[in-house]
Amino acid sequence: MAQGEKTKRKIHAPGTLVLVFVFLAWFIALYVLQWSLLARGWPIR
Amino acid sequence: MATQTKEADFRTCPVTTLQVHRPAELLITANAVTAVVFLTVGGILALLLALTRWQAVHLLPADWFYTFLTAHGITMLVFWIVFFEVAGLYFGSSVLLNGRLVAPKVGWVAFGLMLAGALLAELMIFTGQADVMFTAYVPLKAHPLFYLGIILFAVGALVAVYLFFASVVVAKHERRHTGSLPLVTFGLVVAAIIAAFTLISGAITFIPAFFWSVGLLETYDPAAYRLLFWAFGHSAQQINLAAMVAIWYALATLTVGATPINEKLSRMAFLLYILFINLGSIHHLMVDPGLSVVYKITNTSYIMYLAVLGSMIHAYSIPAAVEVAQRAKGYSKGLFQWLWRAPWGEPGFSALVVSMVLFGFLGGVSGVIQGMMQLNMMIHNTIRVVGHFHATVVGGTTVAFMGLTYYIIPLIMRRDIISKGLARIQPYVYGSGLFLLIVGMMLSGDMGVPRRSWDIYATGGAFTTQFPAFTDVTLAMLGIGAIVAVIGGAMFVYLAVFSLLFGKDLRK
Repeated sequence: MAQGEKTKRKIHAPGTLVLVFVFLAWFIALYVLQWSLLARGWPIR
Repeated sequence: MATQTKEADFRTCPVTTLQVHRPAELLITANAVTAVVFLTVGGILALLLALTRWQAVHLLPADWFYTFLTAHGITMLVFWIVFFEVAGLYFGSSVLLNGRLVAPKVGWVAFGLMLAGALLAELMIFTGQADVMFTAYVPLKAHPLFYLGIILFAVGALVAVYLFFASVVVAKHERRHTGSLPLVTFGLVVAAIIAAFTLISGAITFIPAFFWSVGLLETYDPAAYRLLFWAFGHSAQQINLAAMVAIWYALATLTVGATPINEKLSRMAFLLYILFINLGSIHHLMVDPGLSVVYKITNTSYIMYLAVLGSMIHAYSIPAAVEVAQRAKGYSKGLFQWLWRAPWGEPGFSALVVSMVLFGFLGGVSGVIQGMMQLNMMIHNTIRVVGHFHATVVGGTTVAFMGLTYYIIPLIMRRDIISKGLARIQPYVYGSGLFLLIVGMMLSGDMGVPRRSWDIYATGGAFTTQFPAFTDVTLAMLGIGAIVAVIGGAMFVYLAVFSLLFGKDLRK
């Protein structure tokens, strides 16, 4: 925002919000996969 | 040292109308060109190493492999990156503030120290007297001149950082720039603060190593060395992170005219880096016995997340700024018209997107996951770690630096890019090669393939190792990805060097 600008803009970025959720889903998927691999690597018998 | 601003030392950029300080311009060019030379050397080594890690090809003999691996790590992680960052610091403190570089002669001394140090270290490595890898872990001992080279380089870089701060202060004092610092320069200030910590840590690490190598110090505790080293080694990558994010903001502005949607929030996100990001360095020491588990987990799984929060803010803020700018131009149909109608043929924009995707989806996510103690135990010292930092430092930082270069050449060096068609596809070629390389490394690491190993099967050893057959595929991905990435890298070097030498002179 330009220096000294007083008026507040309304931020309208719905596409970015979707991208953020895609990123979140990707993170969750990888996180679960890594724990799954860990569980296989260190099984509790 | 000049004490007053001489208007004759400035020229006005016809595109941006910024005042360009001519002595700063020369130093920016010298540092950027030197950076590209080191990138070329590091890239050639990368190809040879990848074709050795691809076990079906196994190109290099073992001794060459470790020599070249040391050279590749230091050339790319230190020399290419830091020379380019110094160019960026001079750009951010003079051109972006319409100010002057306060002491150009000191800048040349810094450049000389850095170049002499880098060449000395390279000489020791390539003559086989420093096969100690990037980490140079004690008790591995290199020739004393190797440590001296690193120390000289660090001192030179520290002087350059001092010049940056001094130039920012003088620009404000001389009222060449009024008001808050531009966000890009603010990001570079953050990078420079982290750099000061990093370079002092480097001196604390390598000066005793130098004394130890010449016999003045009898022993150097390996655990103490590792702790000190990572205050330098990983923090150096956090300089890259802050500089890269600053460049992301710059590229978003240069390519689509984006302005930060909430500048205060972006600045706060940068501050989170200063406060918390270096604590993540402890994840290199997850298996070190000298540090308590509580200490390790507190740093890497709690405090570190505050720095990750900073990255999350930038990761939302920059695409949102692009979206807002694109919608303001009328590309507001549906959810993604702003994205489809973005300037994908503009190398600065494609470099921005490639850099953000590789850094975020591969580098950032993998870093957070493998920084956790339990998961780290599964992948520690595997090639997955190498995949992570290739995603951050190469996919993220290097691609962003490449994108900025397409603007530095016409704006600072005043040469036109010689082949715009080639420039249009270069970020895609480089990025797709990196994607294959990084995913190949990560999958191989998940299956247990160790890092830094010439022969992963330990053929002829007391114990041999077996891996799932799928590693043949993932290691081939690594090798093929490296070939494609090196082609993309060569395209960049060709474009940068030939534009500088033979590009249309924009002064005429």
